[in-house]
Amino acid sequence: MKIGKTMLMELKNSWRGFVLFLLVVIILVGGFVYAYPSFREAFENDLEGSEKVGMEVLEGEVVKVRLSWEEFEHAENYSILVGESPNMMVPLDRVDGVENTYYDYVLEFDGDEIPERYFAVVAVRSDGERELVGMETNFERTTAFQEIWGVDYGDIQGFLSILWSTWWVLLIGLYIGYISVSVITKDYEEDRMDVILSKPISRRQYLLEKFTVVSLYTLAVLVIIGSILIGSVYSVGELNSISYSALMVSTLLSWPVFLGIISLSVLAGVYLESSKKAVGISFIFILIQYGINMVGDLTEGLEYLKTYTVINYWDYESALYGEAVGYFDVFFLLILSALLVVSALVIFERKDIPV
Amino acid sequence: MNIRGLTKKYGDIVGIKDLDLYVYEGEILGFLGPNGAGKTTTIRTCLGLLQKTSGDVKIFGLDSHKDSIEIRKKTGYLPGDFGMYPDLKVKTILRYLLSQSGVSDDSKMKKLSERLELDINRKYGNLSKGNKQKVGLVQAFMADQDLIIMDEPTSGLDPLMQQKCYELLREEKAKGKTIFMSSHILAEVEEVCDRVAIIRNAELQVVEKIDSLKEKMGKKLVIEFENSVDPTLFSIEGVEDFEMDGRKATMIVTSNLDEVVKKISKQNIVNMSLETFSLEQLFLTYYSRGGKGE
Repeated sequence: MKIGKTMLMELKNSWRGFVLFLLVVIILVGGFVYAYPSFREAFENDLEGSEKVGMEVLEGEVVKVRLSWEEFEHAENYSILVGESPNMMVPLDRVDGVENTYYDYVLEFDGDEIPERYFAVVAVRSDGERELVGMETNFERTTAFQEIWGVDYGDIQGFLSILWSTWWVLLIGLYIGYISVSVITKDYEEDRMDVILSKPISRRQYLLEKFTVVSLYTLAVLVIIGSILIGSVYSVGELNSISYSALMVSTLLSWPVFLGIISLSVLAGVYLESSKKAVGISFIFILIQYGINMVGDLTEGLEYLKTYTVINYWDYESALYGEAVGYFDVFFLLILSALLVVSALVIFERKDIPV
Repeated sequence: MNIRGLTKKYGDIVGIKDLDLYVYEGEILGFLGPNGAGKTTTIRTCLGLLQKTSGDVKIFGLDSHKDSIEIRKKTGYLPGDFGMYPDLKVKTILRYLLSQSGVSDDSKMKKLSERLELDINRKYGNLSKGNKQKVGLVQAFMADQDLIIMDEPTSGLDPLMQQKCYELLREEKAKGKTIFMSSHILAEVEEVCDRVAIIRNAELQVVEKIDSLKEKMGKKLVIEFENSVDPTLFSIEGVEDFEMDGRKATMIVTSNLDEVVKKISKQNIVNMSLETFSLEQLFLTYYSRGGKGE
């Protein structure tokens, strides 16, 4: 059986680089998940002392509200401040007596939209010193991060979706793109293509084995990363918030995206014959895809641009939240990859092997 | 191996033009030509590494394009620029290439490696140029195939190893193997080849047995006379490139040597030599004459 020999040879030739890359990815993924608890804490306490100040709606939506706070030791009275941002607040009123820990506020405004306000309660001590008790708002706060990414990073799913949508495709995509090009072009450049193809192996088999070996590499990376994710999510005590299957499925669903990248890179390698040129094309493709996806994500009205990127066909959010897997997306990416591989085969079978 | 009207063009550039060549079973055919003449293009087109523009190549009676897998099962090949995986051991590489040829017995591979003093436990990337060439030679012969095609087989080998390579070629031929090899080392071709094919500017100039070629090219005759002689004395059919320098006459005699001898027998001769051309002289003559030896 000669099937798989070229694949096996490629594995023997490139396993060191693969292991090194895998170690880097494992450290990054594991480290990222381990950072989650401190991130969550930081985001939960985004407004200083917000846990000490409460707000109760008395009338209307938030037209009349009651601010209440915990009694502050040594306070003679409390000063209430209001403003449109936490950095620009002006004194509003004073509440005398340490035991009086509430303040009713009627919001006056014109028009239909209720203005958003920040409130601060400051304790004034007998020695005149002032100390912040806490802050609160009359609206549900979102952080800048949440507004930009449109996800709730406060839960583990949202946090992981940052991982997927930021460096995931870039880091793994660029590595996979490089490997996919190299398995072909190195055979040209290191003068072994002539000998390999002088043996009784068809060009089709040669190319399909090269494609398969990189696809399996990628699948192995994803399975290992899925396992690392499960392990690290478990160790930070979050496996009750997300199922291990959601973690593995969301990771593995990126495989068809990478198959697209592999196919394109193999095609570029076959056609251009040069590592530098083909890696350049592969990297430019990945970076443009990533850029378009980012623009589509961040710019209102340009969301449609995302449909032109392969990354968009990886619905990690649905998978992370345990929703239905987008089989159409997977099917589309597989068809796209197959078309690219067939194109590479057609070109390779008809081309002159360069010296 | 039967090549008929083979043409390979790279855009407007002609690599080989209308090439006809027959390699007989059991012979060693040397393929001579300067750099860029079309030797490598011919070999690589026959093996299907380059797509032919027109013409027909049959090896073992099979079509080189349609039946290339079958042909490659029975053909060993050493390219002009042989390379392999630099980080892998030689034995791993050789076993892979052997298995790709469908052979599991590696005894010939081991024997050849020992004979060529090749350490198969070393990494390919750590080998010298000569040792890398030995790997190429071993892989070309190890599967015991019927046809061996080699592009500059002794490139990078020291003289001792070159001799071992010639021995190997002769042994393989004795076993009935057919060998088609290109070379620019004329002495090597003269030493091991039965016939020679000379290619120039993408066109085949001649295919002949080396002895026949030498015969056809004639002999170099140098005569030193005691007195001046009339140059018209040598206006004989079969005398070419006649030159008279004082009392010394130099010519190439391709036929009618007896006629020449009769004519000069009446002259007083001081010195005379009759030399057979070496392959190198033949080759240079072909090229200096700019055509088919005419």
